[in-house]
Order: sequence, then structure tokens, then C-alpha cells
Amino acid sequence: MEFLLGYRPLFDVFLLHTGYALGQYIVLRAGVFSVANAGLSSIGAYLAAGLTLKLGVHPYLSLLAGTLAGVVFALLLSWPLARLRGVYQAIATLAFVQVVLSVNVFAEPLTGGAMGLNGIPRVVGTWTLLIAVGATIYLMTAIGATRLGRAFDAVRQDEAVAVSLGVSVTRTQSVAFAISGAVAGLFGGLEAFHGYALEPNQFGFSFLVAILSYVVLGGRRSVIGPVVGTAVLVALPEIARPLAEYRMLVYGALLVAVIAYLPRGIVDTLLDYLRRQHMAARAASTAGRQS
Amino acid sequence: MKGLSLQGVCKRFGGVTAADEITLDVPAGRVTGLIGPNGAGKTTIVNLITGMLALSAGRIVFDGRDISALGADRISRLGFARTFQNIRLFKEASVVDNLLIGFHKLQQSSLVSNILGLPAARAETARIRAMAHDLLQRFDMSRFADFPAGGLSYGHQRRVEMMRALAASPTVLLLDEPVAGMNDVEAAELGRIFLEVAASGIAVLLIEHNIRFVTRLCEQVHVLDYGRVIASGTPRQVMSDPAVIAAYLGS
Amino acid sequence: MIVQQLLNGLVVGGVYALFALGFTLVFGIHQILNLAHGAVFMTGAFIALYTVLAGWPLWLGFILAIAGSGLLSVLIEVVAFRKLRQSGEAEFGAIVSSIGVNLIIVTVAQKVSNTLVLRFPFDTFPIVIYEFFGLRVSALQLFMAACAVALVLLLTLYLYRTQFGRQVRAVAGNERAAKLLGINPDLVYFQTFFLSGALAGAAGVLVGLAFNSIHFMMGEPWLLRGFVVIILGGLGSIPGAMLAGLLFGMIQTMTIAYFPSGLTDAIIFSLLFLLLLIRPHGLLGRPEAGAMRGR
Repeated sequence: MEFLLGYRPLFDVFLLHTGYALGQYIVLRAGVFSVANAGLSSIGAYLAAGLTLKLGVHPYLSLLAGTLAGVVFALLLSWPLARLRGVYQAIATLAFVQVVLSVNVFAEPLTGGAMGLNGIPRVVGTWTLLIAVGATIYLMTAIGATRLGRAFDAVRQDEAVAVSLGVSVTRTQSVAFAISGAVAGLFGGLEAFHGYALEPNQFGFSFLVAILSYVVLGGRRSVIGPVVGTAVLVALPEIARPLAEYRMLVYGALLVAVIAYLPRGIVDTLLDYLRRQHMAARAASTAGRQS
Repeated sequence: MKGLSLQGVCKRFGGVTAADEITLDVPAGRVTGLIGPNGAGKTTIVNLITGMLALSAGRIVFDGRDISALGADRISRLGFARTFQNIRLFKEASVVDNLLIGFHKLQQSSLVSNILGLPAARAETARIRAMAHDLLQRFDMSRFADFPAGGLSYGHQRRVEMMRALAASPTVLLLDEPVAGMNDVEAAELGRIFLEVAASGIAVLLIEHNIRFVTRLCEQVHVLDYGRVIASGTPRQVMSDPAVIAAYLGS
Repeated sequence: MIVQQLLNGLVVGGVYALFALGFTLVFGIHQILNLAHGAVFMTGAFIALYTVLAGWPLWLGFILAIAGSGLLSVLIEVVAFRKLRQSGEAEFGAIVSSIGVNLIIVTVAQKVSNTLVLRFPFDTFPIVIYEFFGLRVSALQLFMAACAVALVLLLTLYLYRTQFGRQVRAVAGNERAAKLLGINPDLVYFQTFFLSGALAGAAGVLVGLAFNSIHFMMGEPWLLRGFVVIILGGLGSIPGAMLAGLLFGMIQTMTIAYFPSGLTDAIIFSLLFLLLLIRPHGLLGRPEAGAMRGR
């Protein structure tokens, strides 16, 4: 039992990062190559922490504000991004993250600058995180089973076809953006109320790279993909602890290896394999019945 | 009856005129043919009609309404459906999943109920899933329901594309070389379906190379060459037109 | 004073051009955004540094840096990108794979350098300052400018005048067609990645000399600003990267000189965002780039 409790902080990190990963996932699922979530989480985190620390707002309300801020900024971003595609969207959203980071460091009176904010009340524990992640997973799965999820998949796979079937690409991608903004803002706020302190660089380029990696490693289509990807990459530095300074090397090597051999991600590749086995079995039994 | 009408439609790409003063009608209840050698501009016309390309000049009128400037998804929602020259199915998704997206236009569930996965949204999905299975049955494809679309034979893939286009009960159906590469038997079966579809009041535009096929199905045929309509009339008239013969065989 | 700033900016711009050229070359030809490019740049600086620290002349360090970075870049291609050529997930996969490679290289550099910030020995490059028309130019700045010009000329000659270069451009246009014509894509990949790495390595040495702060993370800010340069020039455009590099050097210098230093990044990246909004194909890129078709 103590052994497990010792891992609680790591589990919390896993939960938080799964939330971030799911936020990244939903926007990629709709074919939007956005990496803005790092910036959106930063906004959500700082707003939530700031409201409580400086204005005494109740943390739950602050969390709500953070989530809404994520939505608002995401929608604001989605409008100019609507006419860009692929790599250009990625770079534009990367620029957004850098701007947020830079303004954050500069606006010292508000954000504490490079030193960040301290003394944030720890209101969020493992159970809150579990509920938040559970709710997010539910939402993502639910969306997948409805018209919206199908629209996401259509726009991602073939825009021209989607449009010819009456799907509005701008609207669909804006919705995806908004949802990802909500998730990003929420989990940014949760992180703020869990970790006592915030500093701007925790939402910088490395963070952006990490959450992208969770999704690409685990799989971009199924909802479980990001969860698995996060689990693997969060656990890895712990498992590789004996390797000390070489942990990050192993992390990098893992990314390269998975992309080379399982380019669609661990979970998606596995699901495809299982589905093909299932198809083959059905085909065999149909053939058997016919002969 | 809802018919489609192109009036003096032009499309220029820089110095190239892909479509030049195209005037033709696609009346409801009939199959209208559009034929012409490769590169004549047939797919361009479909793209212009469906809103994938902007017109350089002219008008497109549907049911008395000028749709020339509408966006592609808007036009689709007015009741337009099309198939593509190269089959564009979602290869990794199952046949049923490919059809489900075909019903997108018909669905009414609110955004909120979709995001939260409320019963209304789920019930709607169940309903259109049933409709998809009905469609599969009508096309005798039920046994392929859960197959990945990319694993089907060419002829079957074409059928799936057809089903997807018909799923939302369109009023205008644009078919871009739907039987290319099929043998006569398969083509004839699809041809029967086109006639049925037209008979139910839909305006069908059929773009094809297979002249025998077009002759059997269409009362009215337009011939395109280098972006211009060079002949219009019944198949027999058009086939004996020297300009048409020259275009296909070279003079 | 402004002219002095512009001059300084121009010199830094030359280095940006070298960095961006390699970056845009690989993207233009292979549609791969190589996020390990900054690590290659850093490696060039390290190679030159260690060569000089070992007692050998700077010019040797320079050559070794260029060769070493080129080879490293080729190695990256083999390890991170080769397997992806067939699969349809290339765009994403390549980016994440390059992130992994970047991590590996940076970790190794960290270990080798013991996480220290290193400098070239004091007299590695003669400290001479020339004055003319009231402007001050150091010998190092002249050297940087000369290197940039020389390397760019060599690259242009190579791409537009040799057979290898033609093959590179052919593969850029259509890999399958090029293969059918008997061109070996592997050889082409080798060359483009080598060139890309060599240029980055050269830039790394110059930066190492100029700013005298060599450490395992030095590539990251350059990579991030590299994005601005390649978009400004037009993704995939070689003349664009050159022009944009110079322009950006000047823009950056002016921004640092006339705005609060904390806002430099905010300004630069806001400009990038604006650029993507208004003219994603940059100065010399193809107009269809980045845009959507339809009404």
C-alpha cells in the first residue's frame, strides 16, 4: 500500500497530462494541426490562479473562468486559422504559444513574470483529477458516437468529401478548437490548484512537444490512444530512473522507435490489428457457411 | 419540379479557359448526359456546380434560385450530392461508417447533445444506422457492412460511393464517371439504379465516357470539348454530329 | 545609429539565412519539418569548439564542424525519417520522430559538456575592428558575412549547375517519376540532408564565435526563430530563405534595440502569426501554399 501511495504524485501527473493529451487529441481528430493547447493551458492556469490569489475568487469559480478563457481564446484562434492547413496551422499555433509565453514573462505585475505565481492553495487532489479525466474521456467517447464525431473524422480524412456531404469545415473545426480549448483551460487550472506554483516555462516548447508526443505515440484516432501514450511517457522517466541523465535519451529513442514501427501509434495499430483478425475470422466463417 | 440550370458559365484559371459559356439544363426526373474527350472540362463543371470552384462568369440556377456564389457545404445542404471520378471513400473505415456520414445533412441533433452524448444524439445515430442498413439491403451489400471500405472490389466500392451519395435523399445527383472500369453487367445494374433515382423526381447529371451506356440512359446529351459545349440533343442526334465525331476521333 | 544596427542585423541575418536554408531545403524537397535542425546547429558549434580546445586551428574546426554536422544530418534522416517514406502518416510522424532525435542529441551533448556553458578561448578569432563612414565592423562580422555569402553561392552553384543538383530538384518535384527516370532517391536524400546539416553546422560555428556561449540548449531559440524565417521567405523557397534570413536579422536587431527586451519574442512571433494570416506563402513562396481551395 505504501508502495502505491509513493507513486501517487506520479499518478497525479499522469492524470493531469492525460487531460492535456485529450485536449490535443480532439483537435487533431478534426484534422486541425494545432499545437496551441500549451498556450491555452497557460492562460487557463494563470487566470484561475490569479483570480483566486489576487481577487479571492473561490477556486471552483476560478477553474470555470479558466475553462471559459480557454474556449474564448481557442475560438479567437480558430477564425484566422480556418484558412491555413497542415504545417502552416502548426507553425501559427506555435507562434501563439510563444507569444503567450513571452507576454506572460513580461507582464510581471500580473503574472509574477519569470518567477511565476506562488502560494496557490492546493484544492485539487487525486480524486478531483480522476473525476475530471473520467468526465473528459466520457465526453470524447460520446462525441465519437454522434454526428459531431463523424464530422470530425470526415473533415480529417477527406475535406472535399466532407464538404460535398454538407459538412461545414469551418464550423466543425471551430467546435473542435473550442472543445480542446475548454479541456486545455480546465486542466491548466487544475494543475495550478494542484501544484502550489506556476511558472511560465512549464507551458513552453517542451510542454508542447510532450503533449503532442502523448497523442502521436498512443494513437490519434481512438480515445484510449492518448491515455496510453501519456501513461507510457509519464512512467518512462520513472522506470528509467536508474539511467539518470540518460532518461531523456531513452524517451527520445522511444519516440523514434514507435514512429518508425508503429507510425499510427500504439493503440491504433493494436486496434487495427484486432479488427483485421476479426474480419478474417468473419470472412472465413462466411466462406465456410457458403461451401 | 426542381431543376438545375447553367447559364453562360465560365471558368478561367489564369490564361486557361477550362469552361467557356456553358449553357445547359439538368431537368428533374431525367438523366442528362455530359460526355466529351479527356480534359474537356467535365469534372470542372461538376466542381463549379457543387461550389468547389468559383465561377469566373455566368450563373447557376437551381429551383429558380441563383446558387452561383454559395459555398460548397451550403450547396450540398440544398440537396446536391455527387460522386467522384477517383473513388473517395474513407478506406480505413467500415462500409457502414462510410454511409453514416452520408446522412450528416439529415441530422438535426443539437451541438450540445452531441458534445455531451445525450440520448437524443445517440438515438439519432441509431436511427441513421438503421437507415444505412436499409440502404445496404437495397443495394444487396448487407454482407459487407462491417468490412473496411478499402478492402472491397472496385465495383463494390463504386456502389458504396453511390449509396453514400443517395443516403440523404438528394434532389440533384451529379455522377462523375460512375461506371468507369466496370464490366457491362455491373454497369447495367448501376444504370438501372440511376433510372430509378431519376424516375423518383431527382435531377441526374451523368458524366461518362462509355457512350453506349450514356445512350441507353439519357434522353438528352451534351458534348463538351475544350471547355465548350459543341453539341446538344438526343443521343442519336449527337452521335451523328460531325463536330462530335471529330472531337473524339480527331479530324 | 540606425545604420549601425542595420549592419549588425545584416550580419546576424546572414547566419539566420544559413540556418534557414537547411531547414527550408529539407521541407521544400521532402515535406519534412525537421525539428532536430537546432541540435545539428548546436553540434557544429561543439565540434569546432572541441577541435580548438584540443589545440587545433580554427579553420580545421570549421571544416570538421561542417562535415560532422552534414553527416549527423544524414544519420538523422536514416534513423528518423527513412521508414516513414512509404507510410501515409509521414507529416506527423516525421515531426515527432525529429523531436525524439533532437532529445537524443541534446542529451548526449548535455552529458559530454557536463551541462556547462562553454566558450571559445579568448584569441580564437582575432579581435580587430574596422571603422568606415562612422560605422564599426569587426573582423569576425566580416568573416561571418563572407562565410554566409560563400556557402550560399556554393549551394546555388550545386543546385542549379550540377547534375546532382538537377536530380535533387527532380525528386523534389515528383519522387516516383524521378525513380522511374533512374534517379536514386536515397542518394538525393543523402545530399539534401548533408547540405542542410552542413549549413546548420556552419551557422553554429559562427554563432559560437560571435556570441561565445556554447551549450547544449543553444539550438532551441534558433529553431523557433528559424520558423519565422522560413515562413517569411516562403516554405521551401531557397532564395526566399536567403532574403528572409537577412531581413529577419535586421528586424530582430531593430526590435531588440528599440523595444523593451522582454517583448522581443512577443513581437517577433506576433509578426509570424500576422504573416501567416495575411500571406502564408511569405515573400517568395508559391501562392497556393497553405491556402484552401473553393469559395
